[in-house]
Amino acid sequence: MRVITDFFTKGAFWDTIAMFYQYAVFIYGTSLLMCYGLLAMMSLANIRRYQKKNANVDYNIIVESPLAPGISVIAPAFNEGVTIISNVRSLLTFNYPKYEVIIINDGSTDDTLDKLIVEFEMVEVEYAYREKLNCKPVKRIFRSTNPAYDKLSVVDKVNGKSKADASNAGVNISAFDYYLCTDVDCILDKDTLIKLIKPFMDEETSTTKEINGDIQIQEDYKRVIASGATLRMVNSCDVDEGLMIRVRPPRRFLPRFQEMEYIRAYCLGKMGWDLINAVPNVSGGLGMFDKEISIKAGGYDSLSFAEDMDLVTRMGAYMKDNKKKYSVKYVPITLCWTEGPTTLKVFGRQRSRWGRGLAQLMNTHRKILFNPRYGRMGLIVFPYHFFYELFAPVIEFLGILFYVYLILTNQINWPYAIILIVFVYTYSVMITTMALLWDQITFKYYTTWGETIGLCLMAFLEPFIYHPLIVWFALKGYWDFVLGRKHVWGNMQRQGLGAQKKITVSAAILLKDFLNNPKRADSLYMSKSIEVTGTVFDVDKTPDGKPMIYLQTGDNIGGVQCLFTRNANINKGQDVTIKGICSAYSLEGVVVKDCSLVK
Amino acid sequence: MWSDLVDLLFQAYERFSLLPLFIEIALVFIVIAIILTISAYASILFRRYKAYVHAKRIAFLSPKIEDLITEQVLLNENLDKDMPIESFEFDKAALDNKIYKKPEVRQILIDTLIRYRKNFRGEVGELLRKLYIDMVLQEDSYKKLKSMAWETKIKALVELTQMDIPIADVTLLPLTNSRNPTLRAAARNAYIQLSKNEPFKFFDIATEPILPWDQLEMFKIITTSKDIAIPNFARWVSYSTNKSIVSFCLKLIAHYDQQNAIPTVVGLLETKDHYFRANAINCLGKLTAESAEPRLVSMYNSQPIICQIEILKAMGRIASGKYLEFLKHEFLYSFNFEIQMNAARSIIKHNTQTSRAMLNELVETTNEDNRIIIKHCQNPLIKY
Repeated sequence: MRVITDFFTKGAFWDTIAMFYQYAVFIYGTSLLMCYGLLAMMSLANIRRYQKKNANVDYNIIVESPLAPGISVIAPAFNEGVTIISNVRSLLTFNYPKYEVIIINDGSTDDTLDKLIVEFEMVEVEYAYREKLNCKPVKRIFRSTNPAYDKLSVVDKVNGKSKADASNAGVNISAFDYYLCTDVDCILDKDTLIKLIKPFMDEETSTTKEINGDIQIQEDYKRVIASGATLRMVNSCDVDEGLMIRVRPPRRFLPRFQEMEYIRAYCLGKMGWDLINAVPNVSGGLGMFDKEISIKAGGYDSLSFAEDMDLVTRMGAYMKDNKKKYSVKYVPITLCWTEGPTTLKVFGRQRSRWGRGLAQLMNTHRKILFNPRYGRMGLIVFPYHFFYELFAPVIEFLGILFYVYLILTNQINWPYAIILIVFVYTYSVMITTMALLWDQITFKYYTTWGETIGLCLMAFLEPFIYHPLIVWFALKGYWDFVLGRKHVWGNMQRQGLGAQKKITVSAAILLKDFLNNPKRADSLYMSKSIEVTGTVFDVDKTPDGKPMIYLQTGDNIGGVQCLFTRNANINKGQDVTIKGICSAYSLEGVVVKDCSLVK
Repeated sequence: MWSDLVDLLFQAYERFSLLPLFIEIALVFIVIAIILTISAYASILFRRYKAYVHAKRIAFLSPKIEDLITEQVLLNENLDKDMPIESFEFDKAALDNKIYKKPEVRQILIDTLIRYRKNFRGEVGELLRKLYIDMVLQEDSYKKLKSMAWETKIKALVELTQMDIPIADVTLLPLTNSRNPTLRAAARNAYIQLSKNEPFKFFDIATEPILPWDQLEMFKIITTSKDIAIPNFARWVSYSTNKSIVSFCLKLIAHYDQQNAIPTVVGLLETKDHYFRANAINCLGKLTAESAEPRLVSMYNSQPIICQIEILKAMGRIASGKYLEFLKHEFLYSFNFEIQMNAARSIIKHNTQTSRAMLNELVETTNEDNRIIIKHCQNPLIKY
């Protein structure tokens, strides 16, 4: 008896616990870091495979093809009156032959709907609406009377207090078999639809096999149920009228850390998981889905705090429950730029919600964890997220407390402690640097050396500044989940993208600048949004029937050619101001593309 | 000195081996992490530097190559003299320039020629091809075709196809059945473009599927190439065991409106595979195969939704007017919203006096939900 009492009172018990804890945490930490290393290798292999596979692909083939599958673009909007017009214009300029854009006005209290109605000449239509997925009531559906906007639908619905509810309404009225879900304030690449539909078309579809002695037919192909691409921060990029002009890493610290984190998550994480067909989720900011499967899986859950991961999980579970093969694909190209929180308050709210969402997801779908019936999702994706995503903040926090305890009780072995800290630090820097290298391999988004190295150096600061914040806010999210606190949906104050310095120049001066000093003119105008004033010298049409005009420059050989994306009523001799992107210069003059008539 | 160093290393190892295991592991990882981080930085810088040097090199070489093409091809004085292309002579000295012997420059030259050839057809296009041959650049492409790396093979196929240089069947046909889908697609596209007599020969031997994306590419090549003899695609519908070939042929039959294929396509309605059946029904609709209508109606009730919808769509396309009552019945009594929508659309598509009268009657007599479906389908503002 005395032996047992001594064991507990004289510290032997606590020493054993401490020793066990130290070894357990070391094994846990090392295995986590090994997983990261493995993911890095898999991701590199997958990125290289993607590059080789797509090196000679002519994506424009689909633009002219009658075989292109239709895609519905769904973008919920809540109080987006400041930027809604330019954002919707941007969504209407996708390089794709068959798509529709559905804007869901989720009970906005500002002038979002009014602006849409006026700008796009919308009228209410009698629409045969059927609810395939649950959502708050749809009040009205609008279509444009202007054929230039015939792809656009606006749905006015009762506020559902979540993006999930609005997205479900969008899926309900979507006409096509695939839908792209995005945020209306995201800046999307013009080729987003082509790049995201390709993974769906790279797998054999609609094949069957005969079962039960040739009596029944069963689907026999690996169905791609979702695809996604890399997201980045738009914060310091040059954007004009919803078009990305130049990519830059954010100047402010908080979004800059997020840019680095996103690159790591997509280039290193999701591309690695993609190699073994174990992609855990497709981002809510940009994801393309198979409509049939997403409806059968129940669509978005408006009560979920991680509705994007929840949807992909349920779609995967549906496929497995029905003994169908499936895959979720990722492309290592940035197709979406989103505005990252710049204040700690908004950032904290976002991360707490993510943390809470993960805890909620693990709880809701706990039957999948370690369940071999769910294949890789049950044996790889869920265990990884359970141990290394959900538990990591808790173990880290306990580890810090334990360190403090050891220091206070003077039990710490400083040389060993420092070695362990250096181990974790150097490894984390290495993983982030590798992710940035993989990003450089895929596409050199940053123009200058300084921008690239500037972002790389953030990896050295991250463990001290950014990572503790993430851990703290994740724990806060878990705590909220445990207590079942009501979540307050905050509205992120937009910084006003597109407020770039306006470049206005006459056609004559534009050409003169290029003739006199092409290099300087390049830096002044090329790939930038400019407003050109001048008199129309000639009006013509492009091969696809869009207006193409020439502006007088006073030069006998060269001119300024403006290519329009939409029909415009312009006549010879008219004085005009035209807005577009300066795209090329040759001996014949300057070409301005994506033009619209300002006046 | 060496012995001192060995001693030092030995001592270090001895001290290292006395450390606890987890500290040993940590130390090893620290060293690995530092080495890999430095390597990653070096690699980032090297890649950027390499790209910078390459861009510089391109900027230096491009004007020279473009000048060569402009002088030898675009401004060739014999262009307007109606001379056969074979009799054109290039300036030997310009072509023999030492700069064009370097493999890197030759690759830039090939890429530039391909870019030009995409933009110029006719005599200029042929002259660009002659320049490619006279500079013996096809040997570079053939060499790439023998490479072990599939991506290099694809590059060679693209180059040779763009330049219309023949590739032997013994080399190309096996590639059309490659297990690598990307190589397989490139080889099939090349085969259609380069084979003058039987561009669709590989359909007979194809064991691997034509993926949907490959169908896009192939469809474009087939429908835009002028000198391809279009066969009767029904023959592959009849006997090919490759489902994707059959499915693709159905699309081509519809595109080329091959009316004589209708009996063969009707034969496909017997298949157990409902996806196949749906494709066949779709094809019959696009062919406006009125003779198939009774068969489609008789089989309607035993079909899955996907085929029922295709049957309704087909009846709208055929619009014979014989089955308006059937469409009305489906519109009024089906419980499936998609069926109702497609039945309404098909009635509207008939656009005859009878169908218009039927719609008016339905609008006046049916319930509110059905009336909205008709109004929805009639509204020209609702595109899809």
